[in-house]
Amino acid sequence: MCGGMAARGPGGPRCWQNRRARLLCMLALTFLFFVVEVAVSRVTSSLAMLSDSFHMLSDVMALVVALVAVRFAQRTRATKKNTFGWVRAEVMGALVNAVFLTALCFTILLEAIERFTEPHEIQQPLVVIAVGVAGLIINLLGLCLFNHHGVGGHGHAHGHGHSHGARQQHPRAGPKPEPPPGDGEAALHREETSTLVENCSSSNGVSQEKLGDMKDDMADLQVNGNAGHYPLDEEEVEEDSSAQLNMRGVFLHVFGDALGSVIVVVNALLFYGLWNPCPEDGPCFNPCINNHCMENATLSQTLGRANKSEQEGITVAGPCWLLYLDPVLCLIMVCILLYTTYPLLRESALILLQTVPKQIDVHSLNSKLRTLEGVEAIHELHIWQLAGSRIIGTAHIKCPDPSTYMMVAKRIKEIFHDEGIHATTIQPEFASVGSESGRGKCELPCRTQCALKQCCGTAEDSTAKKTEKSSSLSISCSEVVIEFPKTRRTKSESIPSVKLEANTDQNEQFESSL
Amino acid sequence: MLPLSIKDDEYKPPRLNLLRKVSGWFRSILADKTSRNLFSFLCLNLSFAFVELLYGIWSNSLGLISDSFHMFFDCTALLAGLAASVISKWRSNDAFSYGYVRAEVLAGFVNGLFLIFTAFFIFSEGVERALEPPDVHHERLLPVSILGFIVNLIGIFVFQHGGHGHSHGAGHEHSHSLFNGGLGHGHSHGGHGHSHEQKHTHGHSHGHGHGHSHGQDYCHDDHSLEAVAGSSKQILQGVFLHIVADTLGSIGVIISAILMQNYGLMIADPICSMLIALLIGVSIVPLLKESIGILMQRTPPSLENALPQCYQRVQQLQGVYSLHDPHFWTLCTDVYIGTLKLLVAPDADGRWILSQTHNIFTQAGVRQLYIQIDVAAM
Repeated sequence: MCGGMAARGPGGPRCWQNRRARLLCMLALTFLFFVVEVAVSRVTSSLAMLSDSFHMLSDVMALVVALVAVRFAQRTRATKKNTFGWVRAEVMGALVNAVFLTALCFTILLEAIERFTEPHEIQQPLVVIAVGVAGLIINLLGLCLFNHHGVGGHGHAHGHGHSHGARQQHPRAGPKPEPPPGDGEAALHREETSTLVENCSSSNGVSQEKLGDMKDDMADLQVNGNAGHYPLDEEEVEEDSSAQLNMRGVFLHVFGDALGSVIVVVNALLFYGLWNPCPEDGPCFNPCINNHCMENATLSQTLGRANKSEQEGITVAGPCWLLYLDPVLCLIMVCILLYTTYPLLRESALILLQTVPKQIDVHSLNSKLRTLEGVEAIHELHIWQLAGSRIIGTAHIKCPDPSTYMMVAKRIKEIFHDEGIHATTIQPEFASVGSESGRGKCELPCRTQCALKQCCGTAEDSTAKKTEKSSSLSISCSEVVIEFPKTRRTKSESIPSVKLEANTDQNEQFESSL
Repeated sequence: MLPLSIKDDEYKPPRLNLLRKVSGWFRSILADKTSRNLFSFLCLNLSFAFVELLYGIWSNSLGLISDSFHMFFDCTALLAGLAASVISKWRSNDAFSYGYVRAEVLAGFVNGLFLIFTAFFIFSEGVERALEPPDVHHERLLPVSILGFIVNLIGIFVFQHGGHGHSHGAGHEHSHSLFNGGLGHGHSHGGHGHSHEQKHTHGHSHGHGHGHSHGQDYCHDDHSLEAVAGSSKQILQGVFLHIVADTLGSIGVIISAILMQNYGLMIADPICSMLIALLIGVSIVPLLKESIGILMQRTPPSLENALPQCYQRVQQLQGVYSLHDPHFWTLCTDVYIGTLKLLVAPDADGRWILSQTHNIFTQAGVRQLYIQIDVAAM
C-alpha cells in the first residue's frame, strides 16, 4: 500500500492522501447536495426529488464504503487474526460497490417500468432543472476527480520492479516502461530473509521478524525486488492494481449518478420547453392519461383541480410522448450502467474466488519447475492473488533427499519470482525408501476436503483412499463427465471442466487438488 | 497414405451441448437434498410472484404489479444461491486451482449485500410514506400478507428440517456454509404507496415474507473435528434468527393491515416498514461479518484457540528452532488451508518433522498444509 501512517518518503503519504482526499472531498460534496435536495423536496413537496435524494444517499454510501476500504487496506501489517493484513479490503470494497450498483440498476428498472404504466408529468420543471444542473456539476467534478483512477486508466507509468533482469511481467494495471535490472541476487536474498509484507508484525509472538525495524513499505519495495531505486514508483505501483479496482467502483457510481442527472436535466428541459400543461384553473383534458385504463381516482387527480374524468377539456395537455421520455432514458441508462459495471464485478469476484491470476501461465510454470534437477514431482500447485500485485503461491515439491532440496530450493524460488509470485511456501517431500521412481504420489496426504464437494471428486484421486461418500455425487455428474473431455485451459465458467483423465502426464500435478 | 479417420469426440454440435449442459445442471441440483429444497422454494416463490403479477394486471392495481416485481427481485437472490450451489461442485481447472468451492461464500456475501440494499430501500420508502401518508388499499392487503405468511412458514418448516439434517458417522454437527444464512432472508414489505406530484395515490401492501434457509454443500469428513462444533452453532443460530425475523415481519404486516382496516391508523404502515428494515439489517450483520472474514483470508475463528497450542507443540519438536509466518485461512466451510515456515537445525530429520507437523495440524482440523523447511545456517 502507499505507506503506513507515518511519512516514509516524498511519495509515501502523498498518494494515499491523494486518494483519501479525493474521496473525502467528494463525500462532503455529495452529502451536502443530498441535504440540499431533501430540503428542496420538502419545500416544493416533490416526492420525485425526495426519491432522487435517496439515490444521492446511496452514492454517499458507496463513497463511504470505498473510504473504509482504503482505510483498512492501509493496514498491511499482519495481525493475530488477519495474518495477511487487511490488504484485501479494497477488492472487497470494489465488489460491494459493484453489487450495490447492480441492485440500484434493478431498482431504477423497476421504477422505470412503473412509470411506463403510469406516466406523470413533472411539476415545477424549473426547480427540477436547477437542482438537476447542480447535481450534474457535482457529478462531473467527481468524474474528473476519479477519472485519474478511472476505467482502465492509471496515472502512474513507471517501472514495476519484480523482474530480476529475466522477464518482465506486467500486471494488468497497464503498460509500464522497462524497469532497471536491479540487484537480482541481492533482492532475492533480501526477499528470502525478510518478512514479506503480509508478515511484518510479530504481534502474536510466534513469528520472528528478521528485519525487526523494517517498516511496511520498505518490505513492499523488497518484495518487488527493486529496493531503493524508485520508492515513489513502487508505492504508487502497489497502489495501482487493487486500489484501482476500488476507485473504479467509485467512478462507476459517480458515473451512474451523472447519467441520472443528465437524464433529469434533459427531461426537465424538454418538458419545460415542449409541454403544454393544464392550466391551474379551468377545465382541462389530458389525453395521455385518459387513453390508459387507469382508475378514475388517478385520472381526476392528474387533471388538477376539481376535474371530472368525463369533462371535455378546452385545453389539451401537451404531447404525450414526453411523458414516456423519462422511462426510456432510464432504461438506456440502466443498460449502460450494467454494461460498465459487469467487468468490475467479474474482476473482483475472480480475485475473491482464488483464481490463478490471468498473467500467470500455470502450465509453463509447472514445466519449468519440473525441468529442474532434483525435482521429481510437483503437487498441489496453487497460485492466487491476494490483492493487487501480491500473488501468493504454494506447492509441494518432491525431492529425493534433503540435500538436493536445499540446492534446488533457491532455484525454485527464483522461478516463482520471475513470474511475479513473491510470497511462496514450498513444502519439500522426500521420496520414501523403495518407492517407485518419478511419478510421485504425494507422500503426505494431500487429499482435500473439497474433493467431496466437487462433482465426481475422487475419480482420479490416486493418492488418498477413496471415500464412500463421494460416490453418491458421481451419478449426477456422469453426464457432465462424458461430455467434456477437453483439458484445455478454459476460462468459461459455464463449462464444468473435467479433470485430465486422458492426460496422464499432467495428472500428477493436479491429482491432489481434487 | 490413407487418411485416418478419427472419431472426434471433442466436437459436438452447439445445440446439443446446451441442452446437455442444462440437463446436467438440473441433475446436479436435484441430486443434492438442500439444493433440491432450494429449487422447489424458488419455484414456489416464482409462482407466487407470477400470480401476484397477473392479479395485479387483471385488477389494474399498480401496487400489486410493483410488488410482484419486488418478489422477482427476491427470486434473483434465490437463483444466485442455486447457481452457486451448482457452480461450487465444478471441478478445478487451470484457472481455478482450488475449484469453485468458494462460490458459496461469495454468493452468501452478495446475497447479504442485496439484502442490506433491500432493507435500505424499504426504509427509504417507509420514510417517504411517513412524510406523505398515502391511501393504502387495505382490502387487498390482508389476503396477500396472509398468503405470504404461509409461504414463510413453509420455508421455515422445509428448511429447518432439511437444512442441517446431515449428521455424520462421527455424529457431530457440521457447520453450514454461509450461503445457508445468506439466503435465509425474507422480508415483508410494509405497504408502499406512491404518491406522485399529481397527488395520485394508490396504496398496496404486500405481506409476503418468505423465509428460507437452504442447506448448503459442506464437506463430509471422515473423522471428527472438535473445532467445528463452535462455528456450526453460530451459523445455525444466525439462520434461525433470520427466519424468525422474517416471520415477525410478516406478522407485523398483518397487524398493521388489521390496524389500518379497523382503526384507520395509517401511520402503522410506514412504522412497520421501518421496523422490518431495521430487523433485516440487524439480522444480516453477523452473516456479513463471517463471510467478510472468510473472503479477507482471516484466520478461521474456530481454529483461533487451537492454533497457539499447535505452534507450541511444533516448536517443541526436536530440531525445530522456530516457526514463522503462519497463515491459516478458510477456503470454504470447514476447509482450512495453512502455510508456515519452520527453521530447523542442519542435522534435523526433515521428513519426520514434516509428518509430525502434519499430524499436529490435522488434529486441529487443517488438512491442507504447506510447510516450508528452512535450514539454519550454522
